[in-house]
Amino acid sequence: MTTIGAAGRVGQYTLDNGLRLVTAPASTGQVASVNLWYGVGSRHEVPGRTGFAHLFEHLMFQGSGNVAKGEHFEEVERLGGDINASTSTDRTNYYETVPEHALDRVLWLEADRLETLRDGMTQEVLDNQRDVVKNERRQRYDNQPYGTALERILRLAYPEGHPYHHPTIGSMADLDDADLDYVKSFHKAHYGPDNCVLTVVSDLDPEDVLARVEKYFGHLPARDFVPEAPDASLPEPLGGPVRDAVTETVPAAGVFLGYRVAAYGEREFDVMHLASAVLGQGQGSRLYRSLVVDRPIAADDGGGAADILPFRYTDSLLLVNMLAREGVSGDVLEEAMREEIAKLAAGITEEELDRARAVLERDHLQSISSPSGLADSIGSCTQLFGDPELAYTWPERWTDITAEEVRAAAERLMVDDNLLVVRFDPETAGADAAPAS
Amino acid sequence: MLRPDIGTPASYTFPKPRRITVGGGTVVAIDVPGQRLASLRLVHPYGGAVEPLDAMGVSSLTSEVLEDGPAGNSSLAPALERHGAEWVSRVNWDGFITGLDAPANRLGEAVRLFADAVRRPALAPDDIVRRRDQLLERFWLEAASASTLAMRSLGGQLFTGRYATPLAGGPVRLAEVEPETVAAFHADSIASVAGTLVVVGDLSGVDLEDLGKTVFGDAAATPVREVAAPAPPPGELPRVLIVDRPGSVQSALVIAHRAPSRSQVDLPRAEGISEVLGGLFTSRLNMELRERLGYTYGAGSRFDLRRDSGVFFATTQVEADTTAHSITASLEQIAKLRSSGVTAEELASVRDSNTVGLPVSYSTARAMASALVDMVVHDLPDDYVDRHRAGYEALTEDKLNSAAEEYLHPEEAVVVVVGDAERLSGPLADIGAGPVEVRSPESLWS
Repeated sequence: MTTIGAAGRVGQYTLDNGLRLVTAPASTGQVASVNLWYGVGSRHEVPGRTGFAHLFEHLMFQGSGNVAKGEHFEEVERLGGDINASTSTDRTNYYETVPEHALDRVLWLEADRLETLRDGMTQEVLDNQRDVVKNERRQRYDNQPYGTALERILRLAYPEGHPYHHPTIGSMADLDDADLDYVKSFHKAHYGPDNCVLTVVSDLDPEDVLARVEKYFGHLPARDFVPEAPDASLPEPLGGPVRDAVTETVPAAGVFLGYRVAAYGEREFDVMHLASAVLGQGQGSRLYRSLVVDRPIAADDGGGAADILPFRYTDSLLLVNMLAREGVSGDVLEEAMREEIAKLAAGITEEELDRARAVLERDHLQSISSPSGLADSIGSCTQLFGDPELAYTWPERWTDITAEEVRAAAERLMVDDNLLVVRFDPETAGADAAPAS
Repeated sequence: MLRPDIGTPASYTFPKPRRITVGGGTVVAIDVPGQRLASLRLVHPYGGAVEPLDAMGVSSLTSEVLEDGPAGNSSLAPALERHGAEWVSRVNWDGFITGLDAPANRLGEAVRLFADAVRRPALAPDDIVRRRDQLLERFWLEAASASTLAMRSLGGQLFTGRYATPLAGGPVRLAEVEPETVAAFHADSIASVAGTLVVVGDLSGVDLEDLGKTVFGDAAATPVREVAAPAPPPGELPRVLIVDRPGSVQSALVIAHRAPSRSQVDLPRAEGISEVLGGLFTSRLNMELRERLGYTYGAGSRFDLRRDSGVFFATTQVEADTTAHSITASLEQIAKLRSSGVTAEELASVRDSNTVGLPVSYSTARAMASALVDMVVHDLPDDYVDRHRAGYEALTEDKLNSAAEEYLHPEEAVVVVVGDAERLSGPLADIGAGPVEVRSPESLWS
């Protein structure tokens, strides 16, 4: 199948083995950005086996049948390229931006680990990367003030056993239990060309890119069977407010509020994305004006108090987070945030809506302004929605959303019985700080 | 399937910027057709390094207060947000940089707001005090992160004078900066000085001269800055400083020593040897501490080179029990590099990544603007990127080996460890990296 997008920017192809290739032009010359979105993330993990999708991200750089440990990184760095990978609930992606002449080498490296990763996997490699990941967890979660917030939020937002109940990093105990056989079976189950969107952003002719991709990936077989993803439906409402109160050595009280909203891709998600921008994105947002500038009881976050975690296969989470000023208790801050959020139901102005659209559009433009960001956005839109053109047109989704629509959605969703609260309070609270109610 | 050969790289030349003089200032611009998001930066040569000792942090505070805009009360960002523009303002040791990232087709409207914000801000005393108090609190919020605290501890260990206090003035000195100090600094160093305007993006339909007139107005030409080397470090070297963070599950480590200034350093040699040691994922420190020992999520090194001095540092985060060995293992890697030199593969890696990789390095408007800002701050010629590449192309093993001798000096290092002092003091006393001192974070700045 071959289609070239209406604007002539995007080429789409599907290989016989199911691999989807998307090509798009770069705005600067002589580079090729390669991005592979595999449709496997932490939502595919089961209780007792958490952290595997992310552990895999590490193992994919540890050598394969024809590539030695560390060699993949070395090859790309030697080209002055950018290289990394990331794991979320819904996917794992691997990406490289290299000088254009090296595209074949990168495609070969990616194809080789897709085909032969299991041949290069040893217990020694697994043990080493398990230690690395445990240190990553310590660095990002356990040794960081408020570092466990996301883990606590997910625990409250989704019930025990739900595939979004745990963070991608997984638990220390599950990482300790990782064994080589399970690692290999995980690769076999999820890493096939039929589960991959490969995006190439470059100045090369799309047919040329297709020929190269056919050469390196065309012979790889699709998976024998496609494992079923764990059920991510949510039969019960949140039943809030639900709370998790933590007292530990943090420098100030921290309030994290979360609301379940629609899945990524639905119109309600876009409506609530605008609501989050009205509320807490930019210094013109309500929370910044009210709690940082006017009162002021919250620490200056530059206008970054609210955002949405976009989940494709279950309810997404609108999150609001602020830290208290000196001498301000967590209770005072939490109450003020909840009051400000509740005011959305009384309505928003056209001016606020325009500002919110402009802020979100700017962020989107920023994210696709680099070849690697564009490739990532295209991979996302193709993997999750089957439509790479969305990477260019996403801001259009906000144009016909009205102020009344945002108000009504806020009135329905940003309410106490859809609310989760994670509160951090310092061990040595100030004189006027009270414990969580 | 056999590994395919890498083809021949296309020759790369950094785009030659267009320069125009407008009034007292200069516009330096690169046209990138198709790049809808333009990056605009105004550079003034007044960074933290030239602040008087009784006004440390004034430039950082001024930079923050500009966001209050001509109308005060945090009015600038909301006004720009409506044009889809993002305000950029940052201070480093050598420059005061303001700017915008904005859709190229809306640049004109956004730049008028920008010019007013930089030249004619309200500077209301209430705004200044609010921002100052927020900065002071943010200092401790950020320093609650072990790695940030470690980096902010370095200046006091390596320098006396201005560099001994963090860039934003630290938790004590910034508190002494009054609204009138900010107003005077702004009037003398920003409002009345034209600076240099950098613009990168799709500039079809953008009138650069008009842009320059809007931004520079009748401000005077930018004066040449004088440079004097800072005072030498106090205390015995090498030594270890433990900044106590009780209950830490990891220690943040920095091994640091002084280095020459940017203009005194042969950059491809110095950065090249740092890349071999810790600048890349495949560098020796990361391979040893992460990929062999499994002690850390990552380890690295780099130079921070200023107009009048420099710092070299290596960083990582490890568990308390592996802290001492991580330091000795890192020092061993440095010693080995100095005694045995680099391999042919390492030379090739450093040389290639900094030559054939340039199209990747400059694949965004932001990255090109950042290179131009660097060139303005350090008085570098327009073809600097190409000259720099030529320096890398001429690298040899001998040149890198002599750089290891010339620029890496672990015997003059201070090792800063932010972690649980009770668990760390004993083991760190035994590693031969000098005497160990334990301090609380609160005692580090005066």
